Amino acid sequence: MIRVLLADDHTLIRAGLRMVIDSQSDLNVVGEAGDGRDAVALAAKLKPDVVVMDIGMPSLNGIEAARQICSGLPDTRIVMLSMHSDEGYVLRALKAGARAYLLKDSAEADLPRAIRAAASGRSFFSPAVGKVLLEDYMRKLQRTGAEDSYDLLSPREREILQLVAEGKSSKEIANLLDLRVYTVETHRARIMQKLNLHGIPELILYAVRKGIIS
Amino acid sequence: MSLDPENPAETQTYGTPHSSAVRWLALGSFGALLALALAAGVIAIHLLGDLEAQQEALSRTLNDRTQSLSALAGSLAEYNEAVQQLVQAEHNRDQEIRRRLDHLTVTIASDLSSYPGNRDPVETALLAGMQDLFAEQRTLYISIQAAPPDERRRKSQDWIAERIAPLEKQILNWSGKVHTWNGQKLQDADRSLLTQFGQARAELGGSLAFSLGGGLVLVLISMAYIVRLERQTHHRYVQLAHSRQKLQQLSSRLLDAQESERRSIARELHDEVGQALGALLVDIGHLSTTLGTDRPEVGEQLETMRTVTERTIQEVRNIALLLRPSMLDDLGLTAALEWQGREVSRRSDIEVDVEADSVADDLPDEYRVCIYRLVQEALNNAVRHSGARTAKVTVAQSAASIAVRVSDNGRGFDPKRVRGLGILGMEERVHRLNGIFRVESAPDRGASVTAELPVPPVSGDKA
Repeated sequence: MIRVLLADDHTLIRAGLRMVIDSQSDLNVVGEAGDGRDAVALAAKLKPDVVVMDIGMPSLNGIEAARQICSGLPDTRIVMLSMHSDEGYVLRALKAGARAYLLKDSAEADLPRAIRAAASGRSFFSPAVGKVLLEDYMRKLQRTGAEDSYDLLSPREREILQLVAEGKSSKEIANLLDLRVYTVETHRARIMQKLNLHGIPELILYAVRKGIIS
Repeated sequence: MSLDPENPAETQTYGTPHSSAVRWLALGSFGALLALALAAGVIAIHLLGDLEAQQEALSRTLNDRTQSLSALAGSLAEYNEAVQQLVQAEHNRDQEIRRRLDHLTVTIASDLSSYPGNRDPVETALLAGMQDLFAEQRTLYISIQAAPPDERRRKSQDWIAERIAPLEKQILNWSGKVHTWNGQKLQDADRSLLTQFGQARAELGGSLAFSLGGGLVLVLISMAYIVRLERQTHHRYVQLAHSRQKLQQLSSRLLDAQESERRSIARELHDEVGQALGALLVDIGHLSTTLGTDRPEVGEQLETMRTVTERTIQEVRNIALLLRPSMLDDLGLTAALEWQGREVSRRSDIEVDVEADSVADDLPDEYRVCIYRLVQEALNNAVRHSGARTAKVTVAQSAASIAVRVSDNGRGFDPKRVRGLGILGMEERVHRLNGIFRVESAPDRGASVTAELPVPPVSGDKA
């Protein structure tokens, strides 16, 4: 049973989401919060497996609340709910510690899958998010005439990029690919350098954009 | 709207419809004063010249008359001497002496008769005295002439002692009187000259004093007028500053009102309409999972409803975002600017690059809104007018200021001639925060909008 905390400032929406979650036998809503501060307090008290968090909330917004929860409870995962598929939101949600990002439009259909993915440490993104990110990326490449940096990666690097984005540690990747941990670390550094990325959140965003993970 | 209705009337009372009359009056007074001083000077010079000429004429006549009188006295003395010679001399010289006496008689007579008229009493007395003397001399001469030679010889000593010597004394006496008279006259002339000088000096002093007094009065009046003008100017300046401040307050209040209105409408749209639609969407989803699988026609209809609802949600969301970007509240200024850049890139042909990493997250709301709206307006302008391919937004915060710059590579414009409402609005927002606003552009050189805002005063650091 996955214990879920719901945080959204609109009771209507919360009720709808609760209905979706409660209809799943393996999911259970253990609490509801109406703003960011409530969410942080309740999470500390209830220690849920997953917090479903709306970004736009009064008093303390979802991003800030997610950051506080993640730093206090490393085992609690965040599913971020948002109306925006803009990369500014996605990247900030990732930086705050969320690994799942759902658009509210499709929340009803994707929420159970997203909660399960988050609970097992995997990432999940609404398909529309990846699409918007890719469109932005392609348009920019086309207009500025820049090269797609993905072409610079070797097959092995692409493989490792996907595994890192999926949330695997270097040790896990080394085991999986039968490589030494040191080699994996070297690959990782090269990938970051080639793609001009700074940190895991940017790498995940990149992977979502390229459709490597969803 | 609290525009002061009394202000225009107040301004009118301080208008200067009579200022030109005052100007002419002042000019006239100054001119008259100058003319007066000039006239006084000219009159003084003239007067001095007159006095000089008068004195010269006076002294010349006096000189002439004195000389005539002295000459007369000299002739009388000579006559006396000749009579004495006649008495003492031998007979053979009689003829010669008589001729001389006759000649002297003619000279003295003509001198006496040709002496100028308008004499003063002393002068008349002198002349009369000398005339009497001459008559006495002539009587003596005639009696001497009439006497026979032996009687003449006999009586010669008596004549000399009794008649000729006293006459000589008298002549000397008259000559001395002439001298005294001359001295007297000279003194008189000097005195009258002095009086005239004194008179002229008094006149000159009077007109000078009048000029000075008039000038002083004029200066005082002018000073008073200038002071009045200065006071008026100051009053008007204060008024102007006041109304300007009022105007600024008004427009700042307008901006505030606009912003809060927008925010409340956006919130309303988002909270009420958006949430209701969202709930509707959730319900439709439920319906389609429970009903749609059994009855395909219902499922189809539900699908259409779902599409329409989704589109409406998107519409409402876009409108709300335009009114008040929720990113500003959710993610802060930097993210909101990046979002806006991407939005513009998506909707238009301009690729926008945003660089705003150095901006503090805890900027006060009016700063965030100001910068956000500035960038929004500048990018809008670029999209609508510039035909640019790329635009760059940089926001850089330093210790003292926040520099915002939006530039494009479009066709540009002449900022002196083009100044739309959009630019005015940006300027207004920036000035409100005591910032400096600049638009730089030239045809075919792109355009850039720059704002430099002072870093907001620290109001309670993040604890």
